[in-house]
Amino acid sequence: MGKVLLKNIENPDSADINEYKKAGGYSNLPKALEKQPKEIIEEVKKAGLRGRGGAGFPVAMKWTFASADPKFPKYLLCNADEGEPGTFKDRPILEKNPHLLIEGMAISGYALGAEYGYIYLRGEYPEAKNILNRAIKQANDNGFLGDNILGKGIKFHLAVHQGAGAYICGEETALIESLEGDKGQPRIKPPFPVNVGVFAKPTVVNNVETLSNLPYIIEIGGDAYSKIGTPDCPGPKLYCVSGHVEKPGVYELPMGTILRDIIYTHCGGIKGGRKLKAVIPGGATTPILPPDKIDCPMDFVNMPKHGSMLGSGAVIVMDESVCLVKVCYRILKFLEHESCGKCTPCREGTGWLRSILGRVEGGEGMEGDIDLMLSVSGNMMGKTFCPLGDGAASVVQNFIKHFRPEFEEHIKNAKCRFK
Amino acid sequence: MIKVTINGKEIELEKPVTVLEAARSAGIKIPTLCYHEQLEKYGGCRLCLVEVEKIPRLQTACTLMVTDGMVVRTETPQIADVRRGILEFLLINHPLDCPYCDKAGECELQDLVEKYGPAKGRYKEKKRKAPESLEDPVFVRNMERCVMCTRCVRMCDGVQGASAIAIINRGGHSHMEPFSGGKYDCEYCGNCVSVCPVGAIMSRLHRHSYRPWQVKEKTETICPYCGVGCTVIAQVRDDSIKRVIPKIGSSVNNGMLCSRGRFGYEFVGSSERLTSPMIKKNGVLEQATWEEAISLTAKRLGEIKNKYGGPSIAGIASPRCTNEDNYVFQKFMRVALGTNNIDSTARTGYAGTQKFIENIFGQGATANIISGLSNSDSVLVIGGDPTAINPILGLQIRACSRKGGNILAIGHIKGLEKFNPVTVSPRFYTETLLLEGIVSALKNKKGLPGSIPALEAKIKDISTSAKEVENGCGIAEKDFIRFTDTLSESLTPSIVLGKDIAQSSGGSYKLMLISAINYLMNARIYLLSERANEQGVLDMGCAPDLLPGYRPLSFAEFRKRYENAWKSPISEKPGLSIFEMVDSAKSNALKALYIMGENPVFNLPNSKAVKAALKNVEFIVVQDIFLTETGKLADVVFPALSWAEKEGTFTNMERRIQRLRKAVNREGMEDWRIISEVAKNMGVKLDYSGAEEIFQEISRISPLHRDLTYEEIGKGGAIYPYKGEPLRGVMEDIQMHKGSSVNPDGKLYLRLERPLFHSGTLSTKAPALVKIYPEAVARVSPAVGEALSLKSGDMARVSTRTGSLELPVNIDNKLDNLSVMLTNNFEDKGAFSLMEYTIDPVTKAPVIDANEVKLEKVLA
Amino acid sequence: MLNEAAVKELNEIRQKYPNARAALLPALYIAQREFGHLSPEAYEAVSEILGVPKAIARGVATFYVMYKHKPMGRNIVQLCTNVSCMILGAEKLVDFLKNKHGLEPGGTTSDGRFSMVIMECIGACGTAPAMLVNDDFYENLTEKYIEEILGKYK
Ligand SMILES: Cc1cc2nc3c(=O)[nH]c(=O)nc-3n(C[C@H](O)[C@H](O)[C@H](O)COP(=O)(O)O)c2cc1C
Ligand code: SF4
Ligand code: FES
Repeated sequence: MGKVLLKNIENPDSADINEYKKAGGYSNLPKALEKQPKEIIEEVKKAGLRGRGGAGFPVAMKWTFASADPKFPKYLLCNADEGEPGTFKDRPILEKNPHLLIEGMAISGYALGAEYGYIYLRGEYPEAKNILNRAIKQANDNGFLGDNILGKGIKFHLAVHQGAGAYICGEETALIESLEGDKGQPRIKPPFPVNVGVFAKPTVVNNVETLSNLPYIIEIGGDAYSKIGTPDCPGPKLYCVSGHVEKPGVYELPMGTILRDIIYTHCGGIKGGRKLKAVIPGGATTPILPPDKIDCPMDFVNMPKHGSMLGSGAVIVMDESVCLVKVCYRILKFLEHESCGKCTPCREGTGWLRSILGRVEGGEGMEGDIDLMLSVSGNMMGKTFCPLGDGAASVVQNFIKHFRPEFEEHIKNAKCRFK
Repeated sequence: MIKVTINGKEIELEKPVTVLEAARSAGIKIPTLCYHEQLEKYGGCRLCLVEVEKIPRLQTACTLMVTDGMVVRTETPQIADVRRGILEFLLINHPLDCPYCDKAGECELQDLVEKYGPAKGRYKEKKRKAPESLEDPVFVRNMERCVMCTRCVRMCDGVQGASAIAIINRGGHSHMEPFSGGKYDCEYCGNCVSVCPVGAIMSRLHRHSYRPWQVKEKTETICPYCGVGCTVIAQVRDDSIKRVIPKIGSSVNNGMLCSRGRFGYEFVGSSERLTSPMIKKNGVLEQATWEEAISLTAKRLGEIKNKYGGPSIAGIASPRCTNEDNYVFQKFMRVALGTNNIDSTARTGYAGTQKFIENIFGQGATANIISGLSNSDSVLVIGGDPTAINPILGLQIRACSRKGGNILAIGHIKGLEKFNPVTVSPRFYTETLLLEGIVSALKNKKGLPGSIPALEAKIKDISTSAKEVENGCGIAEKDFIRFTDTLSESLTPSIVLGKDIAQSSGGSYKLMLISAINYLMNARIYLLSERANEQGVLDMGCAPDLLPGYRPLSFAEFRKRYENAWKSPISEKPGLSIFEMVDSAKSNALKALYIMGENPVFNLPNSKAVKAALKNVEFIVVQDIFLTETGKLADVVFPALSWAEKEGTFTNMERRIQRLRKAVNREGMEDWRIISEVAKNMGVKLDYSGAEEIFQEISRISPLHRDLTYEEIGKGGAIYPYKGEPLRGVMEDIQMHKGSSVNPDGKLYLRLERPLFHSGTLSTKAPALVKIYPEAVARVSPAVGEALSLKSGDMARVSTRTGSLELPVNIDNKLDNLSVMLTNNFEDKGAFSLMEYTIDPVTKAPVIDANEVKLEKVLA
Repeated sequence: MLNEAAVKELNEIRQKYPNARAALLPALYIAQREFGHLSPEAYEAVSEILGVPKAIARGVATFYVMYKHKPMGRNIVQLCTNVSCMILGAEKLVDFLKNKHGLEPGGTTSDGRFSMVIMECIGACGTAPAMLVNDDFYENLTEKYIEEILGKYK
């Protein structure tokens, strides 16, 4: 399999519509428009495409709900908020292959019966904003977007909506709130966005990478697509690897590639040949894994069986020089900073955990602090509105689960030996 | 039918509700903090988490809707643990200052902690700090105590519609703040205070002055300010009102109050209150005993009646006094003094407008339920800002907009500007043309229904095109068309009408046009009413042409009925209106004036002339709670009991009769009792054991109040005509007066501002309201200010033919370039002191829109 | 008040949404650019144009970290210190900026040339440590490289 999502990105002009077309781009949109919307959804179902934003929800199911809702207009939102620490997989698509996303969105919009789409782009990607705006203009000028796509009387308008620095806006209902000009605080569900989403209309939110798979599904058909990767979780996947590896970066590999292979085969192993200490496989809020637990297929179905989650496919590799109490503290500091503040356990719990961790890391931990952290996390787990609160609890629980001695040592010696 | 099982108890529900509501309906309590029945669901505090079978995660009862067959458990040991955990989270940053906090005793957090057990003190870090904010005159904000339930913000933004506060920042660093960060600069309704479950926002008025459990007296009564008649609960300690709060579920205001109602009660305990009767000796008012004052009054009135006849005496009743006070007063005038010379300040607009409309549409045409307004699909607002004059009614208009209805406004309405009103602002003195245009457009679109020929006769020849409106009123044709289209497409419209119409030139003609709009649209009409018992004073017959029950004096049949009941003849000659009384005083024909709870020297336009006229009157009696400008002219002054100190009833603008209950004990007499004592001294029996007995008499003889009892009213008011007889079909010819046209070019006019924070001079005796709105200001547009290089706060001299005042200026960029706005609330700085008036011959209301004014900068 | 060009720009953006409220975030960006930071006047301008009450606009703006609530330096150094950058030495760079350039997190240099903001992940983890100066990405940072970069901004 050649590259699908990162195709052609070595070309310095890959973001230009002509280069994209030269490489075969915009050939799948006309094909899609020949089909009935229902047939496209059927292909996506056959393809077994799951959302790449983190939760791995079956895409066709979401689309079916939204297209069945009688309310109009419908909206397609592209989640380009990419905020999970360690994640940088959508950025190359946004900056280098914007037309792939636009083509994917035009196809999806047609399939759903959505006439309007927004790309919710995180504020931290100013370059991508300009690139996308230019690409959207080109697509409009070339008849791939607008009121009468390819002369077929099909309408799909696309605009970029820039966020302003809030991780929680990656959560789909918070994203919708933010797009409506409000704080990014998650909404009560039900009703679900597929029925009452942005501007109270049926809305589908999909990740950048998810939507970028659409042209390829149209190209090769759902059946062929479903043969890529693992059976429960097919397709190509972007893995973004950072930390102590020789060759960090974004890798397009079949879904279900073994974590160890990603690190040692594709990324050239641990930097300087040092020893691996731990891996966070799916972005900062997914459960950390010790070195002996990395022989797991990286997909949405298998990772939970191996004690973690695929999340956004953001692999953070840490060698022996890293203090894990510090890392845990930093993640909680992040989550405290990003908690939207709506739920009591998340708002108060993240700060409390952060401060205990800060204390332990700083050599001022007390006897009982580890159990206190476990108890506080327990009081958060399952009691919040959105998964951010759970995520915070689970980070602490998993760090302690796998690396308790390191925490104990900090408390006992009243200092951090990594300093 | 939906069946759910909660804690083993089967509950049947008609329609889907939340688990929380279902549980409450079955008497099962689920703890909550962020939930509030007046507010939109939030689901943030997580205290209401419950177990639901077949759902793996715990669910928030406040947001989850029940489904048939659902099985819920709300009190398992696991859930108790969860709640303890959440309370611990809420307490880690919460100061443990309950002994100091005014909320202790009624704090929802405190109560929950008491129920689920205290936290174990596992939090070793420093608590978040935030100093108590005393930057605002009436609120104290203590954000350390905030539990982030966001009730205040949901109240302010979602229900009150003031949108003055917000949660700022994010997560653990967030807290509630007004825009400025300090002072609120809002509508000061204080409804945020009502919904705060903890001591984070509180009223400053009662700060540290009592504990909730020390307040034994909680009296449910009616707000003393405007014609909406909100139910309030006065909390009293040691005969002093500590706090006034609304009541959830009350029919008129359902848990809401405005600034006046909530913060305006302190006048009751004012040290300026009159404490003893006074008699004028050698031009100076001196303290006297009750006996002296009563017998002197009786003697002088008797003498004057004998010498000059009853019609040389007049009475001014009060829209701030109870129905019972007013009933006794008019009976006294008619029976003891033999005159129909009784009137009130309802004459300044309300009375004439109501009569005009009822003449066309029948009695009760303006008696519409306030809460129904929000169900209209459009509301046309004209002649005043309802959100300032009758704030709780204003909320219903905002709610109408929130529900998707259209607000249509003639002229800029400040309190509705955030609600996207479709506005047309006619040039000064061209409102009539605009109304004619609207009537023409509606006639064309809807045709004449044919049911009221007399009205149709008046409008059949009116034909004003959109173009003429554009040329005449300066309203773009397309804006006018949008306005009339929106209006005519409405199916359930309401019209909200303020006093400015009656008080403008051609008022009665405009009322005819508005009536025509009402007729063509088949709308409901609401009359804004500035005083709590403005309707009641009319219903009680405190009008020169009306008998109690709103019965025309001119009908012999009615006169007979009252003559029989009162066992006394009633003059068939209509009495003097309040303005005719002034004229009569001016010409020396009026010899005595009896004034109950009114301050005509301040509250009637051209107050200087009123004062001069009253000086001619031989004998003046004033009953009041303060020594007013009018009181200073009096020969006898009686201290009256205030609203909080007596029993009785008020009738609001919907004609809902509601109970006023005594909240505070004070020595003295009710207004009616003083009158009855005077009558006794004159040998006329006007004896009652109490207010209830007076009301029994009213309900015996007034056809509108028939068979109504205190007991029944006590349940939440009774709307009349109760079991009484409505009065329809006695239509007189529609008379109207077109007024003269004025060319306003290049001139400035003085106009009356009706502010949210004040009502008459009463509110200026309430320190909290004065702190919010401390002084009279002249409001002008930026262009007017600029021409004189005046900035907000600069002093200006405002002069008319009758005098001048020096006032600070306030620049308002929404105001037109012809107006200088001034309130009539502050002693010595009232707009009325600068205004002359003419009388509309039909409504008898004073026309005050033609007062040219000069503005000059005063150099410091 | 916003100048004419900014009002025009805002009205164009407004057209991308079915209601005015949805244009609040972009409007705040424009106001921030025009006023330097979100001052009370900036909120008033936005409120006037979009009809969003100013207290509400402020509440929304303060939820997001990329809006500035006080005057800032001419250039904003936005350094990421999240996990991937941290384990590759971002904290040393924070110290470096502080010691060498007097740039403290949340602070502004006395000449008003730079302000510094600590960022959460900016999506450059594979080339950590990384930062944004204004709208420009800089990756694989070293002290020497930072030195060079700062020289480009006046
Ligand atoms: C706290 C939180 C942060 C999230 N951040 C992102 C994100 O940055 N990008 C993303 O695509 N999805 C994110 N998600 C997942 C979205 O809620 C949603 O599931 C996703 O956009 C759906 O698209 P998909 O089905 O294509 O994955 C986040 C979820 C949570 C709970
Ligand atoms: S879990 Fe945290 S981030 Fe999610 S809604 Fe609750 S407070 Fe907000
Ligand atoms: S009452 Fe349900 S979450 Fe607060």
